[in-house]
Amino acid sequence: MKLSLGPLLYYWSREDTLAFYEAALGWPVDIVYLGETVCSRRHLLRLPDWIDLAEQFTAAGKQAVLASQTLIESESDLKALRKVVADERFLVEANEWGAVRLLAEAKRPFVAGPTLNAYNPDTLALLAELGAVRWVPPVEMPRDMIAAMPIPEGMQTELFAYGRLPLAFSARCFTARHYNLQKDDCQFRCIDHPDGLVLASREGEDFLCINGIQTQSARVMSLAHRLDELHAANVSVLRLSPQSRHTEKIVALFRALLDGSHTAAETPAKLAPFLPAQPCDGYWLGEAGMAYSGLSTQ
Amino acid sequence: MPLLELICPAGSLPALKAAVDHGADGVYLGLKDNTNARNFAGLNFDEKSLKEGIRYAQGKGRKVLMALNTYPQPATLPRWHKAVDTAAELGVNAIILADPGLMGYAVKTHPGLRLHLSVQGSATSYEAVNFYRERFGIQRAVLPRVLSLPQVENVVDNTDVEIELFGFGGLCVMVEGRCLLSSYACGDSPNTFGACSPGHAVRWEQTATGMETRLNGVLIDRYADHEKAGYPTLCKGRFEVQGETYYALEEPTSLNSLEMLPEMARMGIAAVKIEGRQRSPAYVAQVTRVWRAAIDSVKRAPEQFKALPAWMAELAKVSEGSMNTLGAYYRPWK
Amino acid sequence: MKLPTFPTSLARLIARLPAWPPSAAFATACNRAAWPTLGELDWSAAHGKRFRVHVKDIGLSMYLSVTPDGLKAEKSGPVDVTFTATAEDFARLSLRLEDPDTLFFNRRLLIEGDTDLGLTLKNLLDAVDWDELARRMPLALGRIAQAARQRLLPATT
Repeated sequence: MKLSLGPLLYYWSREDTLAFYEAALGWPVDIVYLGETVCSRRHLLRLPDWIDLAEQFTAAGKQAVLASQTLIESESDLKALRKVVADERFLVEANEWGAVRLLAEAKRPFVAGPTLNAYNPDTLALLAELGAVRWVPPVEMPRDMIAAMPIPEGMQTELFAYGRLPLAFSARCFTARHYNLQKDDCQFRCIDHPDGLVLASREGEDFLCINGIQTQSARVMSLAHRLDELHAANVSVLRLSPQSRHTEKIVALFRALLDGSHTAAETPAKLAPFLPAQPCDGYWLGEAGMAYSGLSTQ
Repeated sequence: MPLLELICPAGSLPALKAAVDHGADGVYLGLKDNTNARNFAGLNFDEKSLKEGIRYAQGKGRKVLMALNTYPQPATLPRWHKAVDTAAELGVNAIILADPGLMGYAVKTHPGLRLHLSVQGSATSYEAVNFYRERFGIQRAVLPRVLSLPQVENVVDNTDVEIELFGFGGLCVMVEGRCLLSSYACGDSPNTFGACSPGHAVRWEQTATGMETRLNGVLIDRYADHEKAGYPTLCKGRFEVQGETYYALEEPTSLNSLEMLPEMARMGIAAVKIEGRQRSPAYVAQVTRVWRAAIDSVKRAPEQFKALPAWMAELAKVSEGSMNTLGAYYRPWK
Repeated sequence: MKLPTFPTSLARLIARLPAWPPSAAFATACNRAAWPTLGELDWSAAHGKRFRVHVKDIGLSMYLSVTPDGLKAEKSGPVDVTFTATAEDFARLSLRLEDPDTLFFNRRLLIEGDTDLGLTLKNLLDAVDWDELARRMPLALGRIAQAARQRLLPATT
């Protein structure tokens, strides 16, 4: 089983982003997803910067993947997408079907991202036929459904295994809305919230997390304690989603788990100090995503 | 290519008849299970009512579009296939699909069946729309309610596929097909279960401090006596962000793009869809009547078109929270 | 157009009545007038469940259940779901002049308890073919209902 570092979902300063990836060059991950997938207004790193990073990660012996934007709205979004697709040195993660079309046309292999909504064998087979070499199931897809999917020859399953869950995408920017700003004049306030902006119920329960046009879970999905089931469901890659602090520790703990240095049952306690919020694992068990069973058996 | 067909919701046979009687060019409907995205108890059609609905609508020269717009899952895939077969056998005018795998089945099994891409397919660019065109020959796409009108026009200008837009009704703030808020709270999402905030997870309760709405125990909102309410969806709830309690995602409001009809006509929008299969025949009659009059007016004389105050008042009356918005069609909304 | 409001004195009187007789009268009347049409729909999801129709302005509560043979009056007590509205709004809903969701948004209709059951009942009532219902009603009653409905329908624009 391999580890991947998912695309950075937040907007950090250029210095912080570059420092994060410089450190990541030395982390024990096998795959790194690079690029802006959430908001086209975020510009502190441009495509040449991401490609530069991709080259560095390739040189460091890791697989670099350029992740495409999830919500394509304008012609300039499409221009950016075409540029990503055009660089044949790197694998691309397609996050909507326009990217799939361009990649298939160019006869390029790709990773089918979680928002392509591959919920059944027919759609997965279609993706394989179009050139997908890896697929990321929708984050809500439960264990039993993933295990029931016949995986096409040559395709691998990569699962979102750690991080705040990306739950929804909108045209509206909720961070700008929070500051009573229009999206076109958002003043890039996302930068003040390196792990998103937590939204609580009126009873004080942390519930969701605002990240620009993306809405995430407030809780942190963590499946380290379910390693046996991940193996049983034919998961080949565990995706760890970057957070502003302690990502290195999280990566190290998952690596140690895969190496057998500690058991799956021991992992939650070891991870706990580094989680920015309470954990959740409900989706994996086919329950409400925010639920957490932890080590209780299912 | 059609222009501004009026496509109205039918959650039941009386709603279908109300739509047809009040001037819909077409109705859309679904079966009584999770093969469509309005899977609510007591709603939708069985084979008998579907037959009668098709007879009634097509007998008056109107179209019946069947929504099969959820995502089939490995264990229950045959249910979706059977639904496609039923639609073909009973002679609906088109099926509305979101899942590419299911489109593949439809094309292979019923080559003559007309396919529409559902809003749940999340296609927001012409590259995505053209993918479904090339691969499955879709003839119409319903665009998510996230694009501004100039962005919609860019799609229209770069595809042969007819474009259908939402005109009125419940407003998804999120890209349809890409929203898991409901399943995060209660386990069931529109993609797989066919409903957002399904009834089994919703609780309303009048308390001393107001009417509370909960989804699987999570307090979505509490309304004071004078406040208008909205659907129990998470995107229309009031939450606390950095010490401030407000509608953090969207107010309880409905989309109303009626005043943009001349623009839509100019752009060549093929059809306008009214949301609301979960609503009563009374709503369908009221909304269809207004939109029929408005579309007739814009087709007669687009330059002179005015959104009459009486129309707008009638629509506001049946709107969520009694409020309307232009949504993403009007860029500053974003 | 508004239906006449209930006189307060009458409301007080009704509120003091035990729950059972109005529930029974309602169930009997409803079964006689409407069950031949209503009964064609699939009510099985509601079988064995108890619901309360709370007419708040006159303080009247009817306790009912649905059986394969029609509506049944129930003794007061805990229920699965409660519908609360005024007499006028219930009348407008049952004559299909008003959309339940609209009333809900305006806080004129409240559904408490088992929401799924509440939505089932609401959606099934919406699925009733009203013209068929009026046609099958005892003649005088059907005429009155149709006339009331025509009188209250909004003017066609």
